[in-house]
Amino acid sequence: MAQELRSINLVAPAFKGINTEDSPLAQDPSFAETADNAVIDKRGRIAARKGHEVTTTNKTALGTAALRAIKTFRDDAGNTKVFSAGNNKIFSGTTTLVDETPAGYTITADNWKMVNFNDRIYMFQRGYEPLVYDNTSADVEAMSDHTHSTGVASTMYGNEVLAAYGRLWTADFTNNKSTIYWSDLLNGIHWSGGTSGSIDISKVWPNGYDEIVALAAHNNLLIIFGQHSIVVYEGATSPASMTLSDTVAGVGCVDRDTVQYTGTDVIFLSQTGLRSFGRTIQEKSMPISSLSKTITKDIISLLQNEAAFYRSVYSPEENFYLLSFVGQETTYCFDVRGTLEDGSYRVTRWPGSLFTAYETRRDGKLFIGTTDGISEYKGYSDNGVKYRFKYFSPSLTFGDPSRLKILKKIKPTLVGANSATVFMKFAYDFGTSFSTTEFTVGNQQPAFYNVNEFGANSVPLSEFTGGELTNQRSLNAVGNGTSVVVGLESDINGFALSLQEINLLALIGKTL
Amino acid sequence: MSNQNITIGLNTPEFSGNTPYGNTSYLRDLADLGGVLQNIGVNTEQPSGGFFGDILGGLRDIGSAVSPAIPAIAGSLLTSEAYDRLSDVGRQAEASAMGLAERGLAESQFKPFTVTSTTGSQLGTRVTPSGAVETTMGLSPQEQAMQQQLLGGAGDFFGQAQMPTVAREQAIFDRMRAAQRPEEERQRLALEERLAGQGRLGVSSAAYGGATPEQLAMATAQEEGRNRAMLGAMQQAQAEQAQQAGLGQQFLGAGYVPQAQLLAATQPAQRLAELQQQAQLYGTGLFGETAMSGIESRLLAEQARANLLGGVGSNILAGMFTPQVNQRTGDVTSAGGLGDLGGLFGGVSEGLGTIIRGIGGIFD
Repeated sequence: MAQELRSINLVAPAFKGINTEDSPLAQDPSFAETADNAVIDKRGRIAARKGHEVTTTNKTALGTAALRAIKTFRDDAGNTKVFSAGNNKIFSGTTTLVDETPAGYTITADNWKMVNFNDRIYMFQRGYEPLVYDNTSADVEAMSDHTHSTGVASTMYGNEVLAAYGRLWTADFTNNKSTIYWSDLLNGIHWSGGTSGSIDISKVWPNGYDEIVALAAHNNLLIIFGQHSIVVYEGATSPASMTLSDTVAGVGCVDRDTVQYTGTDVIFLSQTGLRSFGRTIQEKSMPISSLSKTITKDIISLLQNEAAFYRSVYSPEENFYLLSFVGQETTYCFDVRGTLEDGSYRVTRWPGSLFTAYETRRDGKLFIGTTDGISEYKGYSDNGVKYRFKYFSPSLTFGDPSRLKILKKIKPTLVGANSATVFMKFAYDFGTSFSTTEFTVGNQQPAFYNVNEFGANSVPLSEFTGGELTNQRSLNAVGNGTSVVVGLESDINGFALSLQEINLLALIGKTL
Repeated sequence: MSNQNITIGLNTPEFSGNTPYGNTSYLRDLADLGGVLQNIGVNTEQPSGGFFGDILGGLRDIGSAVSPAIPAIAGSLLTSEAYDRLSDVGRQAEASAMGLAERGLAESQFKPFTVTSTTGSQLGTRVTPSGAVETTMGLSPQEQAMQQQLLGGAGDFFGQAQMPTVAREQAIFDRMRAAQRPEEERQRLALEERLAGQGRLGVSSAAYGGATPEQLAMATAQEEGRNRAMLGAMQQAQAEQAQQAGLGQQFLGAGYVPQAQLLAATQPAQRLAELQQQAQLYGTGLFGETAMSGIESRLLAEQARANLLGGVGSNILAGMFTPQVNQRTGDVTSAGGLGDLGGLFGGVSEGLGTIIRGIGGIFD
């Protein structure tokens, strides 16, 4: 007797992001086994990320190297200047990278951190004399070359710099991993006299020993990230009198460039995943506060294999926190609009991303540093190069893992993806050999007719179409198994793609 | 110093008689002088006019013998005798006055005396051969020992007061710091614990001298304590120096107390000596005045005798050349003149013998 087809509807598949921690069979279909080059779009759907458009037209000074730092200088007078670092140089500009490296200043590494403070921009890198720029001198110069600098010494050539509480703070020195120096009040070039000073926290580490990695200012606290512990001081507005507020053992920070402020929390990458400082302080317990529980093992694996460096950025406009493992060309995108039941952010992965620097501008633009120079996070190609969007569901058992499932139809609903070729894939019983069926999305152009019917300034002129292509297909499927994995791949090359839903029609067979 | 009964003994043998002024030489001399004067007046015990009666009798005899020529001779002789006698009386008065002055000088000389206190100390006085008055003081052995001890102590204290105070200041400072250091260490440890609890052990702030405000405050307080200790040590050393000087002063003063007490003990004796001296001087003056009164009286008497003799001689001479009128009969006898000198010598010699004996009795 013929059986009725059972419809299994995957609405907004993967809108909870990747989950590689839970058992595939027990997973919520809202998770994804793979969500590459994807983001959670404004409607909660999984969608292709944006690409980057290169702004730089002249990167002669950069050569073939990648930008590893981007920072926009801004002073009270409204002067702005974009600085970047790469190829052992300091650059300015976005279209043409102008070498701003001070004469006679030799650079052999590009791991700069740049901060704005009181009408100057400061650049710190371990073992290098800090650089400073202001609009008055209009030149990047070594700090000691500045007319009014004091106390600039090799002992304070830190790798981490923080502008907070009216001072510059620096730490992570070549031969000193437990001392923090702070500058005089409101003067980042005065490192002696005034109210400048230092604190050695070697006796404060809760685990007896640690090394300072990063600094952060949050909630009137000075947060000192060690590799495996965190020390928090309160009253940092008066550093000489600031007192220990809290210590957290077992949770540290991997790299200074993973620390980002989201307004309510300080996000940083620990050895076991992404964490929120606010929650860590609140709970004082490492396991509960993880923001990346769904990909913990993946992150640990990446951490263990990362030989280059990390970059991160928080974009309130895009609602994500990007964490790049540059050496492994992998970026994780954490959607910060909300958390899952376990407190984790929804996360997607951007493999093959060659992003080496980020900068969130005041106008909401997100600058990305690459070997091409400075790019802007926009469009749907990586500087004209397509990238592949992938979605794979977890293993689906349709609520009865013991019975055989025979897929008959796969009906994806896609939004966008004009002219894109979409590959629908499915496999049974945890197999890695996927059956593939492809289709090409039609090329729908809005019928504008260049008629302004409802107002002189109606842009775009969309009298007859909404300007967004929705595509529903019904694809035949073959084979059977107790569990099914459904996937979708498509190269993103100029158009957005969102996966609205996938409807599966299957016959439920005998019990195996 | 407690008052002690002081027995004052004056070695004034002249005062050892039964009467305060008894047995003094000048009194004896006064007695002698009185005797002389009495001798002078002895003849007054004789019936009034006996003496002169002899003389007049003699003269009458002479006059009878030589009358009427003899009276002229006798008058001349008597006048000459009066003249000579006045010269002798002046010389004798001068000699007596000089003797009296020398005696008064000897009697008014300082009489040495010695004072011995109940503690055995002595004050002695003597007149040196050169005439100077020398005073000697002697303490008892106990007092000498005490004086030596006190003066030695004074020397020690003064010596200590003159020593530099640096070493003493350092010693006092060290002792004060030794007393302060444990509490400072406790405070330091407490601060260290607080800073460690606050995670601030490693804080170094340029505004606080490379430390925390608390550390700077503690260091400041400790330095203030050190400074106070240093100043206190200086003040204490100086106070001790002043104390040493004061003690030296006290010891020095006390060292002279036995001597001062000895001098104080001699005050009554000195007053007595002054009284003695005053009495001596008074007696000497009284003696001199009395003696001079006697001399003057004698001079007056002798002067009167001489005048008398001169008057007698003058009268005799005047009678010899004046006619005698018998009032009863009215007969006038002419002056004898120098015609009757033949019977003169027998009667004159007898009369002169009588006169000379009478005068000689005056100076016996």
